[in-house]
Amino acid sequence: MNLVLQTLVSTLVQGSMLALITIGMNLVYGTLRVLNMAQGVMVMVGGIAAWTFVANLGWSPWLAMILAMVIAALLGMLSYAVGISRLIGRAGIDFEMTAFISTFAIASILQNLVQLFYGPRQKDFPALVPGRLQITEGVSITWHQVLTAVIAIAALSALGVFLAKSRYGLAIVAVAQNLDAARLMGIPARRAYVLTMGLAAGLAGLAGVLLAPVYFVSPNMGDLPMLQALIVAIFAGLGSTRGTIIAAYIIGFVQAAVSIFWTSTYAMPVLYALIVVVLIARPYGIAGKPQEARL
Amino acid sequence: MLELTDVVAGYGANTIVQGISFTVKQGECSVLVGPNGHGKTTLLRAISGLIKVTSGTIRFDGVDITREKAEKLVERGLIHMPQGDLVFPDMTVEENLILGAFTRSASKRAKQRITEIYEIFPRLLERRTQRARTLSGGERRMLAIGRGLMGDGKLIMIDEPSLGLAPVIVDEVYSRVRRIVDSGMTVLLVEENVTRAQSLADTIHLVENGEIVRSADDAALLDERALRETYLGVSE
Repeated sequence: MNLVLQTLVSTLVQGSMLALITIGMNLVYGTLRVLNMAQGVMVMVGGIAAWTFVANLGWSPWLAMILAMVIAALLGMLSYAVGISRLIGRAGIDFEMTAFISTFAIASILQNLVQLFYGPRQKDFPALVPGRLQITEGVSITWHQVLTAVIAIAALSALGVFLAKSRYGLAIVAVAQNLDAARLMGIPARRAYVLTMGLAAGLAGLAGVLLAPVYFVSPNMGDLPMLQALIVAIFAGLGSTRGTIIAAYIIGFVQAAVSIFWTSTYAMPVLYALIVVVLIARPYGIAGKPQEARL
Repeated sequence: MLELTDVVAGYGANTIVQGISFTVKQGECSVLVGPNGHGKTTLLRAISGLIKVTSGTIRFDGVDITREKAEKLVERGLIHMPQGDLVFPDMTVEENLILGAFTRSASKRAKQRITEIYEIFPRLLERRTQRARTLSGGERRMLAIGRGLMGDGKLIMIDEPSLGLAPVIVDEVYSRVRRIVDSGMTVLLVEENVTRAQSLADTIHLVENGEIVRSADDAALLDERALRETYLGVSE
């Protein structure tokens, strides 16, 4: 019974985190049709920025969290301006593939720059809140995990409200659903793209701050989140936000269950196996639609 | 109000509109008729900035808009009501309508306009919380028209309001189009069905192979023989 409860609690924490990392990637794919390989690096940027503010400058971790988000968001917009915007609508190139490689290059450059300035060593990051929460006899989680779940869910809800209600949120959704129709409504598509890239990177940055006390801060702390985000995104169906949330919790559950009932060594291999099955049975994911190419 | 001079446009190396010139005067309804696949929709897409104009000029309200972006043209009051496939499929009817008033000036009047549009299209009111992808072809067409009316239009371009619809539905859609024309709005209508077009048009242009082959100020005067040649490929 305790193990079941422990699994569910882990699912909630892990799933919320996965959703936070992946949702931005899927939002970018939905609007821009670019598989953004720089999403993991933005997680790392968030972590390293927060570490700089907290460990080097002695600022409050809460302030650091907000600033880290802003920095990641700005970098996301910058990478759009440098690496993607010039490729849009160019004749004679395959936009999806070229932009995909471009985001790879951005990720690699950022990662190496951080390595150059900060070194490869893993850095400690203090838990934002110390201590553990005892749920029942034998089941407890750290307050940091509680905080992670709460902040992730709050951020996802805020994103949901933004997309459904605000002027620019609706613009992003409109561009994702039908680019030509959106332009005929007077929606500036490029502004929607910049905003989407900023939002995606900002959310990844936030995830980076929340992961920092768990995984330490280092130039490659974004690698595992990137891999997990890819798995969740494929499982969800590229471009689907609702699917992302569902998929994140399913993947979170599988990871938690395998780790608790078997061994954490097999958590990733089991996920790979699962994704192979999904790709064979339903190549467009649980909530995606069969792909159609866009002109 | 809208003035085209030798407009050439197409997709990549594939030129579809081969030098078209005509004028739409304020308060008038101009109709482009002609069989499908002869460049009428492409021409509308070029005017509204969705595709680039290869050569020629387009002037709207006295300003050269040939190279202007689609989103900018909407602000100027050039509204393009596309065919029913260009709705937002996973948004509700009401969300689609709200997006029709995206520009700053139109968004101020969105609330009031939405009630007006529900009055014109009671069907959209019934379906207001339904996703656009679940609508029938006729309802989608009405949504595309209603959504266009949400904007601050000075000139409205309507693309084939009857394409692929059952005759009863066509009558319903056309009675709304007539209402728009009668309200004094400047309209550029694209239509395949000549009889439908003639009853609305002040000016009518016959489009064949991306060119205007015949124009008439009085729609009824459009030469029978020219029509037959264009549609049936018969020449006497």
